[in-house]
Amino acid sequence: MNSSIVISNVSVIFGGGANAVKALDQVSLEIAQNEFFTLLGPSGCGKTTLLRCIAGFEIPSTGSIRLDGVALEGLPPFKRPVNTVFQSYALFPHLTVAQNIAFGLQERRVAKAEIERTVGRMLELVKLSGYGARKPAQLSGGQQQRVALARALANSPKVLLLDESLSALDLKLRQDMRLELKRLQRDTGITFVFVTHDQDEALTMSDRLAVMRSGQVAQIGTPSQIYDHPRSKYVADFIGDTNFLSGIVRDNRLETQSGFVPIPADLPQGSKQTVAVRPERLRLVSDGGDLRSRITQIVYMGNETMYHLEGDMRVRVPNNAGATPQYALGAEVGLVVPLSAVQPLEDAS
Amino acid sequence: MTSSQNPLWRFPGLQAIIWFFFAFLYVPIFVLVALSFNKNDAATLWTGFTFDWYRVVLENDNIVRAAQNSLIVALSATAVSTVLATAAALGMAGRRFKGQNVFNALVGLPLLVPEIVTAVASLLFFLSLGIPLSLVTVIIAHIVFCTPFAYLPIRARLEGLDPRINEAAADLYSSPLRAFWRVTLPLLLPGILSGAMLAFIISLDDFVITFFVAGAGATTLPVYIFGMIRIGITPEVNAVSSLLLLLSIAVVTLSYFLGQRGAAHSS
Amino acid sequence: MTRAAPTVKQRLERIDLLGRWGLILPAALMIFSFMALPMLVMALISILEPGNFGGVKWGAYSGDAYQKFILERDLSDHLVVNTDYLSIFSRSFSLSAVTTVLTLLLGFPSALYIALQPPKRRQILMFLVSIPFWTNLLVRTYSWILLLRNGGLIQSGLEVIGFRGSLNLLYTDFAVQVGLVYSFLPFMVLPIYTSLEKLDWRLVEAAFDLGANRWSALRRVILPLAAPGIASGCILVFIPALGSYFIPELLGGSRALMIGNLIQNQFGASRNWPFGAALSFALLAFVLVLMLLYALRFQRNLEAQS
Repeated sequence: MNSSIVISNVSVIFGGGANAVKALDQVSLEIAQNEFFTLLGPSGCGKTTLLRCIAGFEIPSTGSIRLDGVALEGLPPFKRPVNTVFQSYALFPHLTVAQNIAFGLQERRVAKAEIERTVGRMLELVKLSGYGARKPAQLSGGQQQRVALARALANSPKVLLLDESLSALDLKLRQDMRLELKRLQRDTGITFVFVTHDQDEALTMSDRLAVMRSGQVAQIGTPSQIYDHPRSKYVADFIGDTNFLSGIVRDNRLETQSGFVPIPADLPQGSKQTVAVRPERLRLVSDGGDLRSRITQIVYMGNETMYHLEGDMRVRVPNNAGATPQYALGAEVGLVVPLSAVQPLEDAS
Repeated sequence: MTSSQNPLWRFPGLQAIIWFFFAFLYVPIFVLVALSFNKNDAATLWTGFTFDWYRVVLENDNIVRAAQNSLIVALSATAVSTVLATAAALGMAGRRFKGQNVFNALVGLPLLVPEIVTAVASLLFFLSLGIPLSLVTVIIAHIVFCTPFAYLPIRARLEGLDPRINEAAADLYSSPLRAFWRVTLPLLLPGILSGAMLAFIISLDDFVITFFVAGAGATTLPVYIFGMIRIGITPEVNAVSSLLLLLSIAVVTLSYFLGQRGAAHSS
Repeated sequence: MTRAAPTVKQRLERIDLLGRWGLILPAALMIFSFMALPMLVMALISILEPGNFGGVKWGAYSGDAYQKFILERDLSDHLVVNTDYLSIFSRSFSLSAVTTVLTLLLGFPSALYIALQPPKRRQILMFLVSIPFWTNLLVRTYSWILLLRNGGLIQSGLEVIGFRGSLNLLYTDFAVQVGLVYSFLPFMVLPIYTSLEKLDWRLVEAAFDLGANRWSALRRVILPLAAPGIASGCILVFIPALGSYFIPELLGGSRALMIGNLIQNQFGASRNWPFGAALSFALLAFVLVLMLLYALRFQRNLEAQS
């Protein structure tokens, strides 16, 4: 892998003495050049702290961060070839849109004509040509977001850091901006490091993502690796909807309370094991099936129907096929569990 | 917000400036208070600790009378201006209406007009109307410039109150008057107290306006101190000045902590 | 067209408005009668002729008081330029301007330092700033006499390190300057701190992120955003400094006169009420113009930003 950012053993401790909080705990990961990399996790998991370490706003207590082989220690933010799109956008309210975008170039003493050209190009890139003379307060949230993006990209940074950059937008705009961001990343060829708590954002945009939990990296992988093969209960639970099935491994099957589930061959006989199965991978049948259960609740969700079953299980059934039989509340049903849908978890309990 | 661990936020030189800043603000005050306890009556040489000068001050009838006048003026001005300010703040709170800006401008007037101008205007006004200068004229002038100082904290406090609480009171069968008595007033009290204390300090400390509108026999403490300073520097002046200083500091501190408590309550 | 009868809502609003004015009126009347009205009287007196032994001649209008700012009648009753008062004006202006600059140079970094502290420490420091703000200005001015006079603390201090002779610091323009800076320094810090406290420090982070070093971030982001606070600090210092009376009276020499002393003289030794009123009125007019400029410049700014 042609690494752009190498983070090794980074810890950040806030406060001191008894009140010390470990915001980051021995985090190590590598981000490739031109990659769209996402740090995903709930609030307080340390993802923003890690981003701020890369930007230079926080200083790691231990560990190092290297950018293209150069250690960033001791470099203040204004000497790092990275730029940030802030969560609140942090647009300068006293400057116009064009002045905001020109800010970084002026700091680097770029020639006036060159600045003008770049600002024009950036406005075009984020589809805001003609808005250069406005003040940020005169723009909508989505437009402000794009100005913040243009302001950061204008400096052609090696890495663009995005801190929950879409969370302030409404749903429709957010979905548009996802595509927009992805397009910009492809067009500019810049490494994007994106911080979010929104799993949909992470799955749809990232080349790879790191799921974080209380200051540590829980799992790193491509969206499909993370979604289809979560290694821990935490990751499986945080991303998407999941059924957890627990039981004892016997004869390459998992013996659970409601029946037998097929499992991969390499699990030790007689061990306790928990597996994750996505609700959309399960199939409901009237007779037979690997598991038997009873329908406790039916939730109509437009494109699909969610069946809640006894034993804390859920099954999603698409509504498109008229062929799908309808089941009634309280009906006893069977569940077919394909082997490919079964993901054994490392934390067995 | 800002990470204090990061040297990024340390602007070079600020530390030195802040030390100089506080030294500059406080050294003269400490020197004054220290010298008021100095045995030596001549100069700044420290020759020993004594309370004598305070005894001298308290035995000086003129000073005691001036202090009494100061208290009479400050207490009456505080009482009247706080009532006026509370009423006005209640009238101004809540919705916007026509003419509000007229009152805003009026309240701002005593705050931005130089004291000497107010003093001259008041003096000329009383003289041309043939009103004899006395303690009464002093009190009237003090009420005027104390009102904005009392008004501002009360207004700020009202602004911070949730307008819904009155609706909640009404919902729970309180008439507007009862709601004011049981809900608004108790919540407003810290603001009123801190406004009253500011008015008290401002009145107690005022020199210029009092100097102009005080008639014979209406000398307040600052005016008397001014007279003493012009005659000569004595340890007695140090003592009486220190007393005035400490009184102001005590009231400010009290007002500050009351404000803190009020803020803690509302949040 | 028939006028529609007032709805219940309109009637309630009218009652509410009456109640509001009932509450506001006492304070408004008090300030109007004893502040606004006296200023009108002062303006009127400034265009009257002075009485022979103080007071004024009612009904005898004259522009002499204003003319006197720059002109006087010589022995042969010709008008000639008199620079006595002009020099007092210019001294007042320059002392106040220097005071404003010095308090800004000392006050802004101090406010910045305080604003960058953790919340608890910030509160304590601002409390320490506000104590001098609320304590007696006269007494604080007096304390400088103890420091500056011959045989005072500064001289004694210098003697310790070997200096001999008198400094003659007191009763000079220098002493007045020190006194003015000392007195009005908290007036500069409080509004600047207020604007810095409201400042969104993420904007400064953004500036750092875009390659601005501390100095550049200060110049391009912090200063422009703190400009309203700086401007109101300057006004809060400049206006009372310009109108100061007892600071030059106590610390300045007989020649270190400022406008305030000149005004006071007209009601003491000189007994020229119209001239005193004219001086006061000119000062007032100047202050109002200053405030108007401030409002025009920053009120619009605030609206645009919010």
